[in-house]
Amino acid sequence: SHIFKKNHDMTKAWKGRTVQLLRVDEHDFTMRPAFGGPAIPVGVDVQVESLDSISEVDMDFTMTLYLRHYWKDERLSFPSTNNKSMTFDGRLVKKIWVPDVFFVHSKRSFIHDTTTDNIMLRVFPDGHVLYSMRVTVTAMCNMDFSRFPLDSQTCSLELESYAYTDEDLMLYWKNGNESLKTDEKISLSQFLIQKFHTTSRLAFYSSTGWYNRLYINFTLRRHIFFFLLQTYFPATLMVMLSWVSFWIDRRAVPARVSLGITTVLTMSTIITGVNASMPRVSYIKAVDIYLWVSFVFVFLSVLEYAAVNYLTTVQERKERKLRERFSCTCGIPHSKTMMLDGNYSESDANSLAGYTRNQMVPEEEKQEKMVVHLAMSNESNSSRKRGLKGHVGLRIIQNTHAIDKYSRLIFPGTYIFFNLIYWSVFS
Amino acid sequence: SKREIKMRKLDSTKVRPLKSEQLLHIEDHDFALRPGFGGSPIPVGIDVQVESIDSISEVDMDFTMTLYLRHYWKDERLSFRSNKNKSMTFDGRLIKKIWVPDVFFVHSKRSFIHDTTVENIMLRVYPDGNVLFSLRITVSAMCFMDFTRFPLDTQNCSLELESYAYNEDDLMLFWKHGNKSLSTDEHISLSQFFIEEFSASSGLAFYSSTGWYNRLFINFALRRHIFFFVLQSYFPAMLMVMLSWVSFWIDRRAVPARVSLGITTVLTMSTIMTGVSASMPQVSYIKAVDVYLWISFLFVFLSVIEYAAVNYLTTIEERKQLKKRGKASGMYSIDAVQAMAFDGCFHDTDVDMDLTPFSDPCEEDETRTSETNVSNVDTTRLKRKRSLKGNVGRIILQNNHVIDTYSRIIFPSVYIVFNFFYWGLYI
Repeated sequence: SHIFKKNHDMTKAWKGRTVQLLRVDEHDFTMRPAFGGPAIPVGVDVQVESLDSISEVDMDFTMTLYLRHYWKDERLSFPSTNNKSMTFDGRLVKKIWVPDVFFVHSKRSFIHDTTTDNIMLRVFPDGHVLYSMRVTVTAMCNMDFSRFPLDSQTCSLELESYAYTDEDLMLYWKNGNESLKTDEKISLSQFLIQKFHTTSRLAFYSSTGWYNRLYINFTLRRHIFFFLLQTYFPATLMVMLSWVSFWIDRRAVPARVSLGITTVLTMSTIITGVNASMPRVSYIKAVDIYLWVSFVFVFLSVLEYAAVNYLTTVQERKERKLRERFSCTCGIPHSKTMMLDGNYSESDANSLAGYTRNQMVPEEEKQEKMVVHLAMSNESNSSRKRGLKGHVGLRIIQNTHAIDKYSRLIFPGTYIFFNLIYWSVFS
Repeated sequence: SKREIKMRKLDSTKVRPLKSEQLLHIEDHDFALRPGFGGSPIPVGIDVQVESIDSISEVDMDFTMTLYLRHYWKDERLSFRSNKNKSMTFDGRLIKKIWVPDVFFVHSKRSFIHDTTVENIMLRVYPDGNVLFSLRITVSAMCFMDFTRFPLDTQNCSLELESYAYNEDDLMLFWKHGNKSLSTDEHISLSQFFIEEFSASSGLAFYSSTGWYNRLFINFALRRHIFFFVLQSYFPAMLMVMLSWVSFWIDRRAVPARVSLGITTVLTMSTIMTGVSASMPQVSYIKAVDVYLWISFLFVFLSVIEYAAVNYLTTIEERKQLKKRGKASGMYSIDAVQAMAFDGCFHDTDVDMDLTPFSDPCEEDETRTSETNVSNVDTTRLKRKRSLKGNVGRIILQNNHVIDTYSRIIFPSVYIVFNFFYWGLYI
């Protein structure tokens, strides 16, 4: 009869020790320990192996961790003399009951299976079970980018039992706050991991009841250096480059225009580059503020030169008109003109002689002269009058140089002021 | 006892009937037959809790959603005796042995039941045979999107549930709590969209080969946040158009400056347009953002053409002027003494062109003395006559400045009108 029994079980010559030891045949894996009775407490312990990646575009993070469960199942107790635990192959998990913990808000997850399923099952003689697995999970994390890239993100990974409410299964951190350990070398290239800590709470689902939920929280602070090098520094350089235009002679029209335009183009490229790797959020980010204000500065330098050029042209036209009018007083003797010319020692122009107080003006042009006189008297500054009467070209340079002169001080001053405000607000 | 042992040995996986099997009479349960087989259709209630909308893809025209899908039905074969009338929760692996409804997602591209750490399945049976079967699923489903008003658009998407095998004579699918069957997590949000409303509806679907099926719909409307596109596309395009207007204020004699300004703004507009269409499907109609960008491109293009016209007309006038100068050169030699007096005036400007105008007014003065008596009152006319007969170069300047002068007003006003129309139409 012994032989008969043995032949019937075709996979093993005699009943494998596991099955006999743990009485797996009698174990109904569909029913939890103490089925129908009080809730079974399941302790959880986590060791974080690595944080693989944080994705801003998808707003998620990927983490690899060792997840360990501790519970007591009396059906699995076995007699033992030395009170030592027994470690079994991972495939035994299919035959016994295990807690059904899942990661809430996870997008993708898997248990590593190279070379075999990374699962450990250890049973103690009194029925305590340690069940450990290596899991990689990608979970959602709501990120707030209003201070990007000077921001800190807080993410959390949530564990919960899928089927068992808190009346059936009580999930808790085995060692309180020390249940969460991390590898020493855990680090990310772009972030500084500030702290890991654990919390637990209850979650309510209207259709199914109250569940225990465990949280693994961590805070990430972004390293600013990469964005300084990639975005802030080039933008600042572009703005400074646009100031070079104020020091260039205003008569070099192509030079100043193309300088302004090329800096505008480069700023536009930098802005596009930043937004390529970012999610399309509906609010303004800190880096956007900096880039757009810099863009405005560069744009204004182009407008400034357009104003300078326009005023130069207008002045030239006025001066030419004036010159023409006075050119008609060719009848005035040269000596007389010299009398009035004392003002223009520095200039080589003497053509505007005789246009003011000399009465040696032909009658015919008196009226026009008067008109011009009135126009001239509108000038408040005597020095301005002098200039106008003097060298017209020099006057033009003096006039628009004022705008350029002021710009040389105003633009850098305002930009430095903006930088002071920006970095003190966001740092 | 021998017979007992034999009976037990026949069931090679289990020695004696297990508790859940005994409890739910699994051995007598034929999972191939639905409850009420051959009789009236079985009503299956559905309840959905949406955990998150992971992503909306315009290029693929689909969306990815993670949800908890709960089925409620009554199977009398699973009823058991209980004095407490409480439900029993079983491990998910039990569903392989009982009948469950075969709901699938119509028009889905990919979907999976999460299986970390174990399959995210819950099975809860009540003493009277009511079953609650819950799954956590991520599904990517098709959503037909209309981009005529992109990015000021609203998309309506829906997820459809249907039984694959059982038509409405066998299985009646319905929303368990009517419109309240659909609930969402509190912090469900997308970065680019505003989720306007979730609603549940149901309908019948007809397949010519297989009959009428109950179909349930989860409808939601998504309104796109415009802010990102304003910052990324509209604002740069507007700035480029404004930058092209700067060209009208620059002296028309600065040929390289105005040309490079126009061309660089055209290039930047082209870059902006390429950037927008990179992340869009290649549709056969025009989108709202295309309308804006192409019209802005047209404005920028026209500013280049405008300067080409100005430059061409300038060249024609110069040629005319050169011909005239050829005739007038003789006259100039006569008035050399007078001309010398005015040498200094024209240091800054083109000496050639302005020498001629010099002589003209002086020359004309003698001839005009009689005229001035007549037209003494109207100084403006005199000025103009003088200038017309006088400085021909100045005429050219004044004339083409006309095109520029008009452009300075026409271009901005037409663009502003276009903006009014555009935003009024689309918002």
